[in-house]
Amino acid sequence: MTERLQIFQSMVAVLLISACSNIDESERLIYVEPAHVARAVLIEDFTGQRCVNCPNAVAEIERLQEAYGEENVIAVGIHSGPLSIFSTAKVKGLRTELGDTYYDYWNVEAEPSGLVDRRGGVMMLNQWASLVHSELQQSAPMQLLLQCEQQNGNISIQVTAKVFSDFKGKLQLWLTEDGIVAPQMMPDGTVNTDYVHNHVFRAAINGTWGDEVDWKAGEENVMNFAITPEGEWVDDSLSVVAFVYNDDGVQQVTKIRIK
Amino acid sequence: MLNERTIVVGLMLLFASRVMLAQVSVNGSIQSDVLLPQKDDGIGATDYEEWALTNTYAEVSLMSQHLDAGLRFEYLQHPLPGFENDFKGWGVPHAYVKGHFEKIELTAGTFYDQFGSGFVFRTYEERSLGIDNSLLGGRIVYKPSDKLTMKALTGKQRQYWSLSDSWISGADVEYSSGVFTFGTSFVNKHEEQEDIMTDATHKLNLPENVNAFDVRARLQKGPLSVLAEYAQKTQDPSFDNGYIYRHGYVAMLSASYSKRGASVLLQAKRSDNMSFRSERSMSGTSSFINHLPAFTMEHTYTLPALYPYATHSGGEWAYQAEGAYTFKKNTPLGGRYGTTVKLNFSHIHDIDQHPKSLNGLTAGSDGYGSSFWKWGSRMFYQELNVQIEKKISKLLKLNLMYMNKFYNKTVVEGEGGMIHSDIFVAEGKYSLSKKAILRAEAQYLFTKDDQGDWAYGLLELSLAPHWMIALSDLYNVGETHLHYYQGSVTLKADSHRFQIGYGRTRAGYNCSGGICRYIPASKGLTLSYNYNF
Repeated sequence: MTERLQIFQSMVAVLLISACSNIDESERLIYVEPAHVARAVLIEDFTGQRCVNCPNAVAEIERLQEAYGEENVIAVGIHSGPLSIFSTAKVKGLRTELGDTYYDYWNVEAEPSGLVDRRGGVMMLNQWASLVHSELQQSAPMQLLLQCEQQNGNISIQVTAKVFSDFKGKLQLWLTEDGIVAPQMMPDGTVNTDYVHNHVFRAAINGTWGDEVDWKAGEENVMNFAITPEGEWVDDSLSVVAFVYNDDGVQQVTKIRIK
Repeated sequence: MLNERTIVVGLMLLFASRVMLAQVSVNGSIQSDVLLPQKDDGIGATDYEEWALTNTYAEVSLMSQHLDAGLRFEYLQHPLPGFENDFKGWGVPHAYVKGHFEKIELTAGTFYDQFGSGFVFRTYEERSLGIDNSLLGGRIVYKPSDKLTMKALTGKQRQYWSLSDSWISGADVEYSSGVFTFGTSFVNKHEEQEDIMTDATHKLNLPENVNAFDVRARLQKGPLSVLAEYAQKTQDPSFDNGYIYRHGYVAMLSASYSKRGASVLLQAKRSDNMSFRSERSMSGTSSFINHLPAFTMEHTYTLPALYPYATHSGGEWAYQAEGAYTFKKNTPLGGRYGTTVKLNFSHIHDIDQHPKSLNGLTAGSDGYGSSFWKWGSRMFYQELNVQIEKKISKLLKLNLMYMNKFYNKTVVEGEGGMIHSDIFVAEGKYSLSKKAILRAEAQYLFTKDDQGDWAYGLLELSLAPHWMIALSDLYNVGETHLHYYQGSVTLKADSHRFQIGYGRTRAGYNCSGGICRYIPASKGLTLSYNYNF
């Protein structure tokens, strides 16, 4: 009988302990000071047209851009890995071999996932917002300015870096495209054949990992690049994304529409 | 962190081994699976940097009258395809010392345990899935009488080659009078806050303590067994549930009746938001503290297992009924040797959900409301299968199966819709001689969905007591027309088992908790060695 009483007492005890750990709805949100934007943030969104949850990442990016400004949250959708598809005669695919190289390099194993300023490795969607909030407030060692010009089918790009503090690392230029209509699997499992893909990674303008730079404070460095768009790309929808990075991650990023 | 653990427990082992020198028994095992991968564009098997991939485990345990100790070495630096990135590594992640006396048992190090059916706590190792969610810490088991068992434990959970930041603590009390068993459990997860922002100026106030409890009662009288179990979890916003603050619930009723030649099992379970991990923002297959078993039959035949169901952690109503009856020898249905008929039916359905939000967002809200008995609109899975086991003669035994299956691929894998299939299996075992048995399987899966029909065939020759030779082919009839052929030779000698094989393994997608993981196709030479001592 005593043992049964012990069991009953144990049951009552666990019920009481479990009952007193609720957070009321009015106390679930903690106010955070708005970010004082000091530099732009780069989100490398590893995505795929066969990834049903990837449109959720796009929604998150749009939410962040709405909160902080499109010029401060710069996203690049890297269609890569087995959930993405290469173009065929029947289907427009957005996967690139270079995207797969990045996918493999960063050890991506699930989509959607992404890099936020290349800090802390590949992050799941829920971790992006707090990292963006933090990264926006970091000081930038330089200002990046972009100018683009299209002549005779070629795109000329001029990067000007106004350097505030010494920086040794790499400068990377990518070409992205907005407004691509191509199939996308949706979170409810259906296929949206009219899905509009934005900020899609198309090519690296200056090699897979960019060019080495060694800039000193006070310098104004100007570098010129060029690329010839491929047939299926729509010139009016192309943009150049330029960013500098080193072992501490991406230090500054900017984006310009070609037209 | 793990290295510190290894050193500490290693010293304890040294101490323990000295104490036990006089009367100690040693047990252990080695398991090594190796793949020499080959590229195969046909099935999408890719190149690997390594010429060989292996999952290798070596385990040893020392046992004496009052003191046990053990450890396991794992070499997973170049793992077989399909495991998560963090799975890679090597070392001694499992080591323990256990003292056991008349009424008390004390464990220090890593350990596995389960409270009740595991709804609130289950740590276990499942190598084929890459799961080892052991706790590193301490456990005490106290048995003041034959009827009463009390447990208390605390520790940090293994996450591949590191440890979770949270602390897991729990207690379990179980009283058994023989006929009746009552039990109750409590588990606490203490995890620090982290920044999960809902918008540009708000982050979630996350609970640092998540508590879960379980109560259960079992009646075991003769052939009848009835188990009722209920578990509940406090607010646990997580990646799995979209950071909602709804409590988690699971209720189960299971009844079985078994006597010679006949058995019946009836089960029902309702789970609701019961994903419970040691890290709230973890995804993938690691870090689960609890376990929700799937109420579906586990199949060993290839095609019935082609579309397997895994418990939907968001919530589900699951029902299972199983019956078996053996018609006796020398009766019209039993024939000369008797006939066994098995029937299994399982049905898994969505629970009712009414969405709720907070400031227009799901994160931070209660997520949804749900009526206990009401179903949601989606069926997740349904299976009806009938098996007949029949010995035709002294030399030949047949096993026939028919299965009708509905598999909601969208729910389990993220896309693909409902797949309705009919599966037929015929297996025959024929004794060629006293030492030679030939086993053959023929299977066919009919479906208009997904990749269409599949066919499978197997031939297996056992030459007792040492050899076994097997050849099989899985063929997609409906769409890809790809063959997944495999062949193997197995040698058993005393406690050693060695297998060499060659073949293709098909690829698949695995999506859960809002993310997708890809299990790649592979091809190559496989080597497998097992040894127990």
